Amino acid sequence: MLSAVVVSALATGSFYTLVALGFALIYGVTRNFNLAHGELLVLAGYTAYWLWKTWALPFVFTFPVAIVASMAVCLALQRLFARLSEPLELNSIVFSFGIAILIQNAMRLCFSGNYRLIRIPTLNHGAGFNALPVSYGQLTLLGLSLGAIALLYLFMYHTYPGKALRATIQNREAAALAGINVAAMGILAFAIGGFFIGLAGPLFGCIHYLYPATGPEATLLAVTLTIFAGVGRLGGIILAGWLLALAESITVLYIGSSWREMIPAALLLGLLALKPRGIFSDDGR
Amino acid sequence: MTAAERPVPYSTAPRERRTAARGGMLLTFVALAALPVVSGQNGYVLQVYTQTLLLASLALAWNVLGISGAVSLGHAAFFGTGAYVSALLSTIQDLSVWITIPLAGVFAAALGMLAGLICMRLRGAYFALATLAFVEIPRVITTNWDNVTQGSLGLVGLPGLPVLHWGDWRLDMAASSTAAYYFVFAYAVMVLCIVGIIQRSSFGLAFQALREEETAALSIGIPVSALRLLALSASAFFAGICGACYAHLVRYIEPGLVYGLYFSAIPMVLAICGGRFTILGPALAALVIYPLDQFVFHPLLPAGHEFLYGLALVLTVLFFPKGFWGYFGRTS
Amino acid sequence: MGMFARRVQNLRPGYRFSCFCAAAGFMLLAAAVCPTRAGSLKIGEISPLSGRLAKQGLEIDRGIQVAIDMANRRGGVSGRKIVLLSRDDQSRPGVAISRAEELCSLKKVVALTGGYVDALVGPIAAVAQKYRVPYVASASLQKELAQHRNRYFFRVSRLRGFIEPLCGSLTEQFKPRRLAVLYAATPGATELAQDLRSCLATRNIRVAMLEKFRPGTPDFTPLILKLAAQKIDVVVSAGFTPDHMLMVRQFKEHHFSPKAYIGPFGIASRRFVAAMGPNAEYLYGTCAWNPGITMPGTEAASKTFIRQFSERYQHAPNTTNMHGYTSAMALIAAMRSVAAAGLPLTGNHIRDALSRLDMVLPMEHLAFDAHGNPLHYHHVVVQIQHGRLVPVFPPGRAAAAAIFPAPAWGKR
Repeated sequence: MLSAVVVSALATGSFYTLVALGFALIYGVTRNFNLAHGELLVLAGYTAYWLWKTWALPFVFTFPVAIVASMAVCLALQRLFARLSEPLELNSIVFSFGIAILIQNAMRLCFSGNYRLIRIPTLNHGAGFNALPVSYGQLTLLGLSLGAIALLYLFMYHTYPGKALRATIQNREAAALAGINVAAMGILAFAIGGFFIGLAGPLFGCIHYLYPATGPEATLLAVTLTIFAGVGRLGGIILAGWLLALAESITVLYIGSSWREMIPAALLLGLLALKPRGIFSDDGR
Repeated sequence: MTAAERPVPYSTAPRERRTAARGGMLLTFVALAALPVVSGQNGYVLQVYTQTLLLASLALAWNVLGISGAVSLGHAAFFGTGAYVSALLSTIQDLSVWITIPLAGVFAAALGMLAGLICMRLRGAYFALATLAFVEIPRVITTNWDNVTQGSLGLVGLPGLPVLHWGDWRLDMAASSTAAYYFVFAYAVMVLCIVGIIQRSSFGLAFQALREEETAALSIGIPVSALRLLALSASAFFAGICGACYAHLVRYIEPGLVYGLYFSAIPMVLAICGGRFTILGPALAALVIYPLDQFVFHPLLPAGHEFLYGLALVLTVLFFPKGFWGYFGRTS
Repeated sequence: MGMFARRVQNLRPGYRFSCFCAAAGFMLLAAAVCPTRAGSLKIGEISPLSGRLAKQGLEIDRGIQVAIDMANRRGGVSGRKIVLLSRDDQSRPGVAISRAEELCSLKKVVALTGGYVDALVGPIAAVAQKYRVPYVASASLQKELAQHRNRYFFRVSRLRGFIEPLCGSLTEQFKPRRLAVLYAATPGATELAQDLRSCLATRNIRVAMLEKFRPGTPDFTPLILKLAAQKIDVVVSAGFTPDHMLMVRQFKEHHFSPKAYIGPFGIASRRFVAAMGPNAEYLYGTCAWNPGITMPGTEAASKTFIRQFSERYQHAPNTTNMHGYTSAMALIAAMRSVAAAGLPLTGNHIRDALSRLDMVLPMEHLAFDAHGNPLHYHHVVVQIQHGRLVPVFPPGRAAAAAIFPAPAWGKR
């Protein structure tokens, strides 16, 4: 039982991480809270569903299209976010809240209210390693999230644009003084954010299900993990995802399913009240 | 900072504009007061405008906090608590609705105080995110506290608005749409007056100082934390009363509805579109946007008519950061 | 945008304000009374056509449309054509009241129908009572709703229709050793779980695990581990379509094979079977009607409905469509009997006719009790066998034996 709980929490936490990565990156670099994050994710999922259903495209090949599509949408959004006035963080919340309503209603209009599911039977099969209950779907999630983090790590620490991104996350003014084009970094962040949204969207459609109104939940998850890990700490996000999933599992096991939804909210509130710079920060105000 | 962006103290507006604004206010007031007569006591029009005025009051309540510079994404917490408190007290304790509605406000204010204490150190975006998470707490508790709130069953058959006695004269507000309309109208006007009085008092100036430059406000002796708490609980108080009115108007509540995202989003959208730092703005936005949605947009676009709210919000933030009324009514 | 803004800014403040007032005045005018046509027989329908319940609301609406079409083709009500005025309550009780007020006071409809879930049906019923307009709700479950002495309120469904077959099949067919009842945190599902538990208690079956979850929960793994640890052998899951989709898939991932999985809401539909594919096999659901599952003796009427519906909408109807159809048929029959008696079609006459109604429709033998509840609304328990919905309980309606216990995931 214990091993099963841990395995499932690790897989679910990895999925949470994939959902949160794009949000965390965009926020870290541009200080824009993108509350339309969940809606973008569902939109990418619908793109993949449409390709899979009507064009019978194999699921793996829906990823590149979903990624390109969501990168395009994110870059378009970036043009709008760039027009916002100070206070940037607050205005971005209000603005992206409006965008979220727009996208959600557009999806209601275009895709009917039916629940959509991308059905990949192999993902549901148990892999069965020495009685350790793990499915291919869970392994995929674990592998994908670790892979995504590793890729991002390589990019951030071993390429010039990555290093410039990190500099911008740490201190915008200093980065600008050092000759880094901060505006271009914002565009790059939205592009990479779009990449991760496009990666997570189709997975959302086959692990979860697609419905126009499921976005806000994913957004709240992304916000919680980002605040939990602290700005720009990408390694922290996966740890945060695992811890959150574990906390949720323990709640369901020992208290009851109906208290589960309180966990991310209470966690976020507690973090904001006590350690607003993230659990790994040493300068909690 | 250009001339248009400089904050204008309320008392120094040019006389011509003040007269125009007062004339417009009076006109709107008279139009709304005469609505039942003009519409021939038409139940439909009255219902839509009752809802409009309820949302206007909610937006005004939201703006009690908004005017100090904070943005809340969680007013459904107070709205829902108000609805549940009044509904439970009037059914289980059998109290008169006249008593339960203010009590609902008091409970909501206490919850607002709690939220304020948790979020004491948070500003701007972080405060907004905290309120977004805060809604879950009363919602999950209400859903799971089966013995008291009936949990996810919801509450059916609530008493309607109260009966008004005046000697032999008797007015049943539950049965008459016109009476219910005037009840909500009176509440909206009351909130508006209270907000106006607060804003023109020294409190109002302190709130303004708070949103312009908090550190400076602190250094000249304004008790910043206490003021923030006060603003949040006052805002929660009025939002809670809105929730109570809603419960007795609709007479059916369930946690998913009254704690839903809708009642968090709509006051924010209306207040920001109308003008966050103005007194009248939020109410005017409600008077324009909700009827526009119900009478024009909804028939045109049944599936995605809420589109309108998103569009209004996005356009306001991009092009009119000071909001509708802040732009049309108060630029120099 | 910028141009326009600048131009407005250049106006004198007084003019600017007049513009605003003119706009506000326009809004008031827009609400002005529209002329109504005399002569036709108007029925109103209020359903959630947008918002979170849009899917079900639209299904109700289609059922009603087909019923009205069929009635009009057969001469309406004593020669008068029936005009259906459909309104959308946006899945919000406040809006439902506005729409009901509009239909009753402005459009002067003779009767109301439609509606999905009690949160929306309740407010409509209150307005209908105020205007003395009879209202036949299409889908409403909770007990409370029919207990408020509203003599103008009728409904074609009720929760007891679910409880009896569920309780019966559990005691007679499945005989669980350890039963789990999981339910979504919505009013209907909560009441179902409570009533089912008390019904089972009278038949000496104890519910080993009763757990509430939020509809749309993204991950059921911990709950499934809990079910396995408790050695649950039969699961009643009162969630909705997406919850079943996720839960059953995760059952399979974790090799959790209960002997029976029963979902009273959201399983007995072709769309669910299509979305789930082979994983839907052996699941149980309940329904009042489905193509091929109809009241004995109504096969012809059922076929006619399916044909008319498919011609109009290019797909087969489901049980929600049938609820809409049934509620509209009740109204039409009542109006016809009023007209046949030579009485004027007023709210009170239609109400009296409704309370005397006794007719057999594909979904149910329809007659109302003093509270407006349907007397004979009974679901059947169906099992998905080879991708088809097969009735298995009660014995009188069963088409095949239930495959019980369901084979474990590894042996399919």
